[in-house]
Amino acid sequence: MAVLWKDLVTEWRSRDRLVAMAMFALLVVIVLYLAAPPGSVPEAQAHVPGLLWVAWSFAGVLGLNRAFAIELENEAISTLALAPVDRGWIFLGKALASFLLLLAVQAASALAFALAFDLDLRPVAVPLAGVAALGAFGLSTIGTLFGAIAVRTQYREVMLPLLLLPLLVPVLLGGVRATSALLLEGVLPWPALQLLLVTDGVFAIVSFLCFEVVLDE
Amino acid sequence: MSSSAAWKRASAVSLAVAASLWAWWVLRAPVDATQGLIQKVLYVHVPCVLGAYLGFAVTALGGLLYLVRHEERFDRLAAAAAEVGVLFCSLVLLTGPIWAKGTWGRWWSWDLRLTLTLLLYLIYVSYLLLRSFTEGSERAARFAAVYAIAGAPVMLLNYFAIDLAGGRTVHPENLGSGSLGAGMGMPFALGMLTALAAFAHLLVRRLEVGGLRAELDRLEAEAERA
Repeated sequence: MAVLWKDLVTEWRSRDRLVAMAMFALLVVIVLYLAAPPGSVPEAQAHVPGLLWVAWSFAGVLGLNRAFAIELENEAISTLALAPVDRGWIFLGKALASFLLLLAVQAASALAFALAFDLDLRPVAVPLAGVAALGAFGLSTIGTLFGAIAVRTQYREVMLPLLLLPLLVPVLLGGVRATSALLLEGVLPWPALQLLLVTDGVFAIVSFLCFEVVLDE
Repeated sequence: MSSSAAWKRASAVSLAVAASLWAWWVLRAPVDATQGLIQKVLYVHVPCVLGAYLGFAVTALGGLLYLVRHEERFDRLAAAAAEVGVLFCSLVLLTGPIWAKGTWGRWWSWDLRLTLTLLLYLIYVSYLLLRSFTEGSERAARFAAVYAIAGAPVMLLNYFAIDLAGGRTVHPENLGSGSLGAGMGMPFALGMLTALAAFAHLLVRRLEVGGLRAELDRLEAEAERA
């Protein structure tokens, strides 16, 4: 809990991570909007679910990189590893902080997408938020595990997406399927939700168990 | 050392025997009535899949054993299997499109098995990158083991994920039993055997390199202390 509190307080005092993630997601929206052929907004709507997840996963990777970069300053990560608590709690704190930040960014960028691509998200807001949260959960758990790894390799910032994106495929596919069914047909498909739930469970367990090993010096 | 030399000899001999028998049977195998000569890619393509998946299973297992037992030899096993597996996976991804162009008329299709194999390939290339970008062999071993262990369930999940995406289309479902024409079973089986022998031989050789490297590191450390 203390780790979650610490991460959120640090974030609140500087707000750099949140601002960076949100700005980045917004820029992705703009780039994707510009990439769509002119005058094709109605046709482009079918791609919005996929584009949303592109923006979310990229922003997530950006935030996760920062989450451990700040621990590296002043060797805070070693101090964290020495904390007299179960490493699992440190993991939960870090992952939850990233999860909450990502949720905020998801909400903001979903709004931006709705404006850019002329979509009415209000009727599906609640289930969409649920799907986004499930995806963010998977991304934050496995991302926290590999964020802690990537930050201690050479090419830190480059390493995380290389490690993370191939592993995120089940989250992305489940998320994109569920989101597109929601946005285009207004229904929540159970198979996609099932996939997201199972993936979240697997990622949470694997990350929780492996984090112990990763934090050792 | 002598036991590893024995392994090396045994795997080399079985590889040579299996490969020559295989080559002979592939030459003699009947030409496919509908696909023609290009169907013979089968005898290379499918056996390589065996090597690819075997390599990745051994990598995950080696990683797991390393985390549990903390013995360096398990890490060497995982690293060796990953490299050999990537080699086989590359061959799968090279021979597949050649066959596909000849029969389906295009190089690639995003169906279940193709996507799955490509993802497997990407995961393990990232695995090798992680190994080479991490300083300190102990740390690299630990990080790599975690990645290999996380990669294994993801491959299972990917199977369902891509299935969900409606990717089950062009690729034949089951080549194993009954779907092969007369006279094609034997070269196919020999191909599988050859892949197995090649996998074993390459793994043994790569393990030897890993062992020598570790020995060199040990001696250098010793020399530095002296």
